[in-house]
Amino acid sequence: MRKTGIRRSLLAAGVVLIMGIITACGGSSSSSSGSGKISADTAGTLRVLMEGVPDTDIVKGLLADFNKDFPKIDVQIEPIAYDQIRDKLVASFQASKPTYDIAIIDNPWVGDFARAGFLKPLDDLVNSTEGYDYEDFSAPLRSIGEVDGKIYGIPFYNYGLGLIYRTDLFTEARLSEPASLDDLEAAAKKLNSGLRSGIAMQPQRGYKAFEEWGNYLFAAGGSVYGSDGKVNLSTPEAKKALETYIAMFKSSAPKNSLNWAFDEALRAVSSDKAAMMVSYNWMLPTLNKVGGSAGALAGKFKLATMPGGKQVLGSWDWAIPANSKVSDAAWAFISWLTSKAGETARVSAGGAPVRTSVFSDSAVSNTGGGADYYATVAKILGNSEPMCLGSNCDEMINAVGTELNAAIAGKKSVDAALRDATTKANKIQSK
Amino acid sequence: MSFRIRMILPLIATFVAAVGYPLFYSFYLSLTSYKITQRWDSHFVGLNQYRDVFANSDYWSAMKVTGLFVVIGVFLELSLGLAIALSLQRQKRFRDFTRSFLLSPMFITPIAVGLMFRFLLNQQLGAIPTILDKVGFSYDFFGSGNALFTMIMIDTWQWTPFMVLLILAGLESLSKQPFEAARVDGAKPFYTFRRITIPMLAPILTVAILIRSLDALKVFEYVYATTRGGPGIETQTIQYFTYQTGIQYYRLGNASAMAYLLLIIVMIIVVVLFKQIEKTRRL
Repeated sequence: MRKTGIRRSLLAAGVVLIMGIITACGGSSSSSSGSGKISADTAGTLRVLMEGVPDTDIVKGLLADFNKDFPKIDVQIEPIAYDQIRDKLVASFQASKPTYDIAIIDNPWVGDFARAGFLKPLDDLVNSTEGYDYEDFSAPLRSIGEVDGKIYGIPFYNYGLGLIYRTDLFTEARLSEPASLDDLEAAAKKLNSGLRSGIAMQPQRGYKAFEEWGNYLFAAGGSVYGSDGKVNLSTPEAKKALETYIAMFKSSAPKNSLNWAFDEALRAVSSDKAAMMVSYNWMLPTLNKVGGSAGALAGKFKLATMPGGKQVLGSWDWAIPANSKVSDAAWAFISWLTSKAGETARVSAGGAPVRTSVFSDSAVSNTGGGADYYATVAKILGNSEPMCLGSNCDEMINAVGTELNAAIAGKKSVDAALRDATTKANKIQSK
Repeated sequence: MSFRIRMILPLIATFVAAVGYPLFYSFYLSLTSYKITQRWDSHFVGLNQYRDVFANSDYWSAMKVTGLFVVIGVFLELSLGLAIALSLQRQKRFRDFTRSFLLSPMFITPIAVGLMFRFLLNQQLGAIPTILDKVGFSYDFFGSGNALFTMIMIDTWQWTPFMVLLILAGLESLSKQPFEAARVDGAKPFYTFRRITIPMLAPILTVAILIRSLDALKVFEYVYATTRGGPGIETQTIQYFTYQTGIQYYRLGNASAMAYLLLIIVMIIVVVLFKQIEKTRRL
């Protein structure tokens, strides 16, 4: 009898405890109104995981202004290395109590995360936020955050590529901005000398090889996906692009640079060891900054679109995890930072633009790279495309980038590499 | 329950929790289609994952790369380790200092070693390419045909001291009488080394090779820190490939099958090796 009594007491205590937990969870999730009209009294703590790079510092610098509008929301930004972001996010998405309340998502992850149910659809929030003007975001950037007709990511930072070149060397060699792949190859050859290489390239296996070569593919008039929506790199355009890339790597790139990526190419250009590079558009203000990494070369760099006008685009997007308990506070922060006013403040401080209206904003064009630079960025964002759309993008990009790198290293023929890249990419994306 | 069994129970419980559960669960995963981003679609697929791994040419390429890494790396470490240990055995002065200095590389965590060599061998920043440039020699450490050898060299730099440690301990424990007898009989040094030192050291050398081979099979950090498997798939080792499949591409079911297949292959090699050791011992 006594044992039964104890068991009953324990059972009752367990039920009370479980009810308490359920009630507590219900209480926290009530902070999701589903509407974009967020009260200034909204309270909560937002834990945000971001890459430890200058654009994170820019966001941090705007937090004081955000707290003037939303004084009860405490934003805690945790900067870490890129390599660790995705795994930490995936762990947080699957936890009953998330570690992070806002996620920033790299473009290859958006499709997987959205289809896995990790992210909240943002359509209702976007549509009910007064004066938000979602259509003002660059269309190619919007397409990255939209999956199966729903919005999961709000553009935060563009990773559009372009051609960065030395104006003094171009003038000296009587060169104009390359209008075709052949022009680019000829310019690289002409600028190649004992002092510096014609172009610093980034053929490192995986993401970098595909990202850089993708620009050559577009310049040759090709595309990653065929009209049937499947990857098709076994095309004359892709072949021309890869042959030109390899020829330029052999004739005009720095020696021993097969494993080079972003850092090495930037270092080569900023230290007068290379005359050109294909890189992120927002590197131009950094290179031209007086007293910056390029030293005496500051002011001698210019940004151009890729020959043909189309380039590869990447992005970071803001997203709200499906398991977030503070969705209202999260949307308050995202919508504030990505509003037209927030965009102006962020871009004026050196952030990469994502809205088209910002290009005609004099407050912005008088800062950073100047009006000429922002006009080129507008062209880049207006005509660009990501390397991959849909599911399994990380794997697809790596597989294609590995095949390309094998061809650049001379381990595979151009035809075999493109054929294998097509086969693998389609197999991966159909999984 | 007897006292002996009760005393061993904590150990069994810890073993089951720390080793048994992960092993069993990963085996279970290898029989499913489990993918982190498609958990709702996870179902039992029997041996299909194993069939896929067998048919995956990239898996076998990674196995070949790993095999080359292990065979060449361990051979170099053994040869150098033996040579250094024989020299150290005859050293008279500063023995403690030399030994502790020589052993220091193996106390550094492998990811730090990988990063260190990534910068040391960097064409723009590295001391080694700069020195080579100064003497008119150019070598692409991470280029096609060279990258795997660079990985082997990094492993050799870090783990030769381990071989030295084991072999030196073995040398110092050998009986002095056969060497005295050989000296009295007028045997030359190389003859003594070939006919006395090596046969007497054989059990220690076998254990050293086995430990280092199993450890080298796990190579991941150097690849992650330097080449990420490139150029092409030249340095894509089995551990890096499995990591990519399971963690980077979310396919835990497939990656578990890869890991189990590797475990089976390694176990077969270890059993064969041990049988060989037993046979040698009986002779």
